[in-house]
Order: sequence, then structure tokens, then C-alpha cells
Amino acid sequence: MILIIGGEAAGKRTYAEGLGYSREQMADAVLDDRPVLYHLERLAARDWEHAGELLEPLLKKEVVICNEVGSGVIPANRPDRKAREAAGRLCILLAKEAESVVRMVCGIPTVLK
Amino acid sequence: MMILLTGGSACGKSSYGERLCVAQPGPRYYIAAMKPYGEDGAEKVARHRKLRRGKGFETIERYTDLASLVLPERGCVLLECICNLTANEMFDEEGEMTDPYDRVLDGVRALRRQCAYLVVITNEVGAEDGSVYDAGTQEYMRVLENINRALAREADTVLELVCGIPLVLKGELPEP
Repeated sequence: MILIIGGEAAGKRTYAEGLGYSREQMADAVLDDRPVLYHLERLAARDWEHAGELLEPLLKKEVVICNEVGSGVIPANRPDRKAREAAGRLCILLAKEAESVVRMVCGIPTVLK
Repeated sequence: MMILLTGGSACGKSSYGERLCVAQPGPRYYIAAMKPYGEDGAEKVARHRKLRRGKGFETIERYTDLASLVLPERGCVLLECICNLTANEMFDEEGEMTDPYDRVLDGVRALRRQCAYLVVITNEVGAEDGSVYDAGTQEYMRVLENINRALAREADTVLELVCGIPLVLKGELPEP
């Protein structure tokens, strides 16, 4: 599994296309049988209390894409805060298992692992 | 030795900081600057306590005035975190604001003089998300980033944690 992270519109899906995946193979925050999942942060936010249960199915994906949402001012309301934390913790666990972790900045990939 | 760890929320700063300290000889002090407010705060404290269990840390809860803190012995310190310490020094219970810059930095310097190995955790809050915050929050972001830059100048090593992976911003990657 390859984990791709980065800010909004930083080139994450474009990078995944470069790995050979078409847009049709990319699932938007939904777990199905497509090989690529993007907007992990939205999937994690939907049910942050059980976000840990997403780990196993996510590890079976070929590519997981997540917006980096942990920077910036800590949100004042609890659901927003917990959702950000859930995305962050999932990414730590995914990064540990991933064969490769790539961070996109201005369309430029940096290989972190 | 002073190591500054930065990064967003839930990026692995605490566990990485602990790993660095556990590789050092004791005694180990964990200085907790977060006032546990409400449900979140209690959860966070419980989570951090669980993470540190069995790793030989003595926890010292200290929300302000680090400069007058006297450590029992010379050892290793994990300070978590500058964003809480800054907020505590900046806003009093009535919401009155004072400039926390000197108090935070003098506090960290005082700690550094008393220990052999200091790991300081801070947080990236300056990444703009396009929102316009109230004046107090804007001022907090500005002063926290000023403090972060001052700490980075004084630190031997500065690392950014991303998904639990340390990226070297200054100095060399420590071997935990």
C-alpha cells in the first residue's frame, strides 16, 4: 500500500494517476473494491469514534490518499477536533505498514518512506 | 541537548518524543502543560498516561511559570507542549491577554539548564486554512510562531513529524 498525503489540491490524485491508476479506479471516501481510496479524512470524520476499524480494510488498498488536516488552529468544537485526530492517527498506523509514503507539495512529491 | 518536535495534531509527536527520552539514561521527567478541560482534556491525559506507562517518567503538571520550576535531579525532560504553555501564559481566567513570549522562552531556557537532554513538543498552527479568526486567536498564532522560531534557533535539532515519520529541519536525526 502506498500512502499519499498533502494539502488540498496539492496533486495527490494526479500523482496516483502517474502510478497507473485511472480516476475511475479511485473511490471518494467510500470503501468498495476499487484499488484507490481518496479523502480518507472525510471517511474518518464520518464516524470518528470507530475510525480505528477502517485500518484493516484500508491496508488492503493499493493506494490511500489523505488530506493533511492536522495543521492550523485547533478547532473549537469537539467533533471537528476528534475527526482531525482520527485522520492523523490512522495515517500514522497506515504509514507504519505502507511500503511507501509520499507527501505532495505544489504538485511535487517528497518520498518520506 | 535540545530537540524541538513540531507537526500538526495527531502526527506522532508524543510517541516519538517518548522514544527519544526512553533511549536516554534517567531520571525522566514529563512536564505536562495542558490543563485538562472537559471530556477531551481528560481523554488526552488518559491517553498520554497510558502511552508513558512503564517507561520510567515522573509526571510534573505545570501550566505556567516554568522558569521557577526546580527539577529534583539532572536527567531527561519531555515538555508537552508549547502551544498549551503559550495559551496558559497568554490568557488568564478572565480572558485578559498578556504577551507570553518572554515567559515561555525563559521557562524553556531554565529547564534546559537543569537537564542533560530536553525534548520540546510544539504544534504547527500557522498553516493557513483560509479562515479569519478573532483577534485573540490571530495574536496567539502570531506569538506561537514567533516562539517556535526562537526555540528552533536555540535547539540543536528540529524535527517535523508527518504520519509518525520524522523529517529533519535542523541538525541530525537522533538515533532513538
